Amino acid sequence: MGVCEIQGLTRDYGKGRGVFDLSFSINQGEVFGFLGPNGAGKTTTIRHLMGFLKPQKGRCTIGGKDCWKDRAEIQKNLGYIPGEMVFFDDMTGTQFLSFMTKYRKTKSNGRTKELLERFELDPQSKLKKMSKGMKQKVGIVAAFMHDPEVLILDEPTSGLDQLMQSRFIELLLEEKARGKTILMSSHMFEEVERTCSRVAIIRQGTLAALDNVDALKAAQAKKYVITLENEEAAARFANEGLRVSDVSQNQVTVIVQNNIKELISVMDRYPVINIITPNQSLEEIFMQYYGGENQ
Amino acid sequence: MINWTLYKRGIRGSWKMLLIFAAVLTMYFTIIISMFDPALGSALNEFAKAMPELMSVVGMNPASAELVSFLEAYLYGFIMLIFPMIFCILSTNKLIVRHIDRGSMTYLLAAPVRRETVAFTQMKVMATGLFALVFYATVLGIINCEISFPGKLDIGRFILLNIGVLCLQFFIAGICFICACIFNDSKYALGVGAGIPALGFIIQMMANAGKELEKAKYATFFTLFDSDGIIAKESGAIFGMIALFIGALILFSAAIAIFSKKDLHI
Repeated sequence: MGVCEIQGLTRDYGKGRGVFDLSFSINQGEVFGFLGPNGAGKTTTIRHLMGFLKPQKGRCTIGGKDCWKDRAEIQKNLGYIPGEMVFFDDMTGTQFLSFMTKYRKTKSNGRTKELLERFELDPQSKLKKMSKGMKQKVGIVAAFMHDPEVLILDEPTSGLDQLMQSRFIELLLEEKARGKTILMSSHMFEEVERTCSRVAIIRQGTLAALDNVDALKAAQAKKYVITLENEEAAARFANEGLRVSDVSQNQVTVIVQNNIKELISVMDRYPVINIITPNQSLEEIFMQYYGGENQ
Repeated sequence: MINWTLYKRGIRGSWKMLLIFAAVLTMYFTIIISMFDPALGSALNEFAKAMPELMSVVGMNPASAELVSFLEAYLYGFIMLIFPMIFCILSTNKLIVRHIDRGSMTYLLAAPVRRETVAFTQMKVMATGLFALVFYATVLGIINCEISFPGKLDIGRFILLNIGVLCLQFFIAGICFICACIFNDSKYALGVGAGIPALGFIIQMMANAGKELEKAKYATFFTLFDSDGIIAKESGAIFGMIALFIGALILFSAAIAIFSKKDLHI
């Protein structure tokens, strides 16, 4: 049995919104990616895990305890980053962190300081005057400072710059190595790719897919946009037997799945000026994996 | 059942507001007590005779020459009802409604603290503020009277009157609090929570004014606070006080139970 279990969770908001008969389980020491478009039900699911909402049907447990009935007990060993950072606006970051430490009745340890250093955060200014990125860092420190066994992270890297995003990924990997169980919702493929062992995607409140990241990566079809010297070359290039999704003027978009060498050898014979790989959203990647965009 | 960290924070967040209310009360108490004239009847009594309708709307009926009934008539019919009531409404907004509405309640509940404890602690912050306000008014009244009219105030009955006001205000606080716990939308939480006491107060004022409307006073809980009866130590009035206090306890317990069981979209 997993550390975090969701069984047949249902909450119907009407008009097809909500969460419907959702089930999955997260194992000890696992970083579990939780993905889906906006309004798919990610936050609703997380609110049930946090004990903010009572399931209409089904149940959620963490460490064998019921997320609704035993919520205060569960919170002892849980860290949470909310999707939206809202603090008490009249506090400074330092006051907030010390308030949370005392409020939770945790002993202050060296960990808060270590986290502040790791994220290069000086929390002395007022929370309401902080930038989105700074608030996010305060939220991260608040979630990790009591060294919880289970972490529920709702889009934890939103607002962070590249450097801080990779620091955060490092932190997650360390926590994973220490046996922590982590549920993370995300929009960034890199983050998920580097940290998660398994990923679930939720669409319109139901589980659309659940698989491990390696399978996902193996099946990932990558897009390349190749710019050639002229339109005539582009037209010939498009007829080389590669999977071409689009030709416009002197640009050819090629989809490659495990046959990058073939593409390279074709490119070798053509007057290629430029090659770019456009960013693909996680949803796009998933939808390719699970066949068809209209599913 | 109480989280002292949260309690301390609540008190720290309330004292500025308390100070403003205390200043307003100081002003009214000082001015009105200075108008008391045991020999000639006060200037206010002259007003009351000249414009009986207007004065009775705000609960100021001509008082006897006794200082405690003078205070009851001119301070405890309007000022000591309306200002602590506003304090209740503002406090509830600050302690519960805004946290749910903005989402900062998340951090109070994403911690090993029971919802009952959170609600009870916030209730306790509000009760402390209310108690401090009425206690201040009591001390203020006694000191003011002792300076201007030494020995004239029946302190025992004045304290009883203040206990009565406190019971009434706890009851009002209970209404505000339970509305904050029932409604997720701040519009309704504040609208209904402030609306019920305000409406009751307006009905009370109308009932004071007109003879035809006099029966209307039985439609609101304000009728349980019979200030004339309290200073006369009438058993009916004392019973009203106790009823308000018990009502407040029931409202608060129900509010805490509702808050603990409700779905929070935070």
